[in-house]
Amino acid sequence: MAYPAAIKTTLDRLYTAGGVLGALFLIAILCLIVVQMLARWFGWNVEIVKGAPDYAGYCMAAASFLSFAYALNRGAHIRVSLLLSAMGRFRYYGEVWCFTIGAAAATYLAWYAIKATYWSHKLNDISQGQDATPLWIPQLAMCVGAVLLALCFWDNVLRLLLDKQHAIVADTVEEH
Amino acid sequence: MEQLAPISIFLFVLFLLLGTGVWVGLALLGVAFVGMSLFTSRPPGDAMITTIWSASSSWTLIALPMFIWMGEILYRTRLSEDMFKGLSPWMARLPGGLIHTNIVGCTVFAAVSGSSAATLTTVGKMSIPELRRRNYPENLIIGTLAGAATLGLMIPPSLTLIVYGVTINESITKLFLAGVLPGLVLALLFMSYVAVMSKVSRNFSPDPEPRMTFAQKLSNSRFLMPVVALILLVIGSMYTGYATATEAAAFGVIGALVLAASQRSLSWNSFVESLMGATRTSAMIALILAGAAFLSLSMGFTGLPRALADLIATLDLSQFELLMALLVFYIILGCFLDGISSVVLTMAVVEPMIRQAGIDLIWFGIFIVVAVEMAQITPPIGFNLFVLQGMTEHEMGYIAKAALPMFAIMVVMVFILILVPELATWLPDNMRARPG
Repeated sequence: MAYPAAIKTTLDRLYTAGGVLGALFLIAILCLIVVQMLARWFGWNVEIVKGAPDYAGYCMAAASFLSFAYALNRGAHIRVSLLLSAMGRFRYYGEVWCFTIGAAAATYLAWYAIKATYWSHKLNDISQGQDATPLWIPQLAMCVGAVLLALCFWDNVLRLLLDKQHAIVADTVEEH
Repeated sequence: MEQLAPISIFLFVLFLLLGTGVWVGLALLGVAFVGMSLFTSRPPGDAMITTIWSASSSWTLIALPMFIWMGEILYRTRLSEDMFKGLSPWMARLPGGLIHTNIVGCTVFAAVSGSSAATLTTVGKMSIPELRRRNYPENLIIGTLAGAATLGLMIPPSLTLIVYGVTINESITKLFLAGVLPGLVLALLFMSYVAVMSKVSRNFSPDPEPRMTFAQKLSNSRFLMPVVALILLVIGSMYTGYATATEAAAFGVIGALVLAASQRSLSWNSFVESLMGATRTSAMIALILAGAAFLSLSMGFTGLPRALADLIATLDLSQFELLMALLVFYIILGCFLDGISSVVLTMAVVEPMIRQAGIDLIWFGIFIVVAVEMAQITPPIGFNLFVLQGMTEHEMGYIAKAALPMFAIMVVMVFILILVPELATWLPDNMRARPG
């Protein structure tokens, strides 16, 4: 059985969408820092400015989590590939092992992210900072991102098993 | 250490996951999970998510994506061409000639980018072909480039230092300022080496450069001036207490965008590429930091850090002996792990040791960065070697051998740091502090 191409394209678009959303959150961080600086210089005293550091923190978490899956398929996440390269024609089995472990870890993360967010909604958890945001709102991005990452890993496991090939396209000169 | 069996299982899982090639962030997560299950009755999952949420939504972390983005924007401008053209007229008369453009170029680019690979490609793209055409000895071209590019890790903005600061809760501004002087000294050491080699070595006979008037030199480097101004703005705003590291990073991004726009190298495409590149890299580091935050929680329950700190205390090592042991440890670790991973992986264990020995943590940050820099140019995993291999098509062994003198110079740098600790601590101690 081959892996349906339609599913692959849909999922790939989903990961990219996550990455784009993450990028938008980076721009939001930049705006928040600038607004905060301007407020300090001109002595503004607005509600949004007081909470700016916290909002920027939420944006940081959102930017990271939402782009985890995108970064994975673009080969940005680092790993020690010494042994894998040494395995030669058995590398395939090494990859299956890595992706399965990754899938398990990401699923565990996603499960508890959802659980934590559910409880902070239920218990009406409010941020301790000056922003007083209900925490489940920013935590929602963590849930979506963690689920995307888990999905991406299982997707890759399936691709390995059915197509004998994972979806990671590495860019050789990624940052280090 | 009465719990020998669980500790060995813990360490075995650590090496198994990392060694077999599981992504570093998730491997740390897995090891932390095993540690929690072995050593406490606390439910690991809930503790994990609380730790990870507060680690990934922290305000101090925000400087990271901003500085990455700034480097990504400048990486896509014509900086690479301008760098060689602008620097070479000034270097031509020095002993060692244009080889110095490698080192000075890397120093300049290191001050706008926190990455050693980006520094290497930006400078090397132009300087390798230009220097070859002028008959400079190949091993000197490759070696200095590999060595000097590691300055990207030390001269602010430095991703490794941000990660170090976030992990041990130290001020990133202070760490950045601490990196300035040691970075410059290291660059000077590289340059002195080149100057000496140019006199000693017999195959050093490059084509002479045409003489230029002062006005010509200035006009050649006019494109470089804005970059230098941007660097002074970013570092200066932190030093004078005018801006925090995060705000300086925002200055950097905006300045870089303006600079790219004024050079007409800012298109919609390059803007999107720089933004997506920054998104990927910061996601990569965020995943490692998330895993590391959970691991350091779990590590606390294993009792390993305290046991090791106690053990070191009973050994009665002098500070110097401890530092030497750590240096060797980090160089070996660096053969297999990249810099950021080795910092986050070890700090939970190393931090108590360092505090107990009474070593300044800001200073130690610079020490660790030099060690990590060495790892960048040692086989089998030295990342700069890979990048250079791609750029020059030399064998790994050849590049590593060419970079060996730079490795020795970095060892010298470690001793200088130990002898003159003020090199790292003077600037941060004398900056004008601003809370936040």
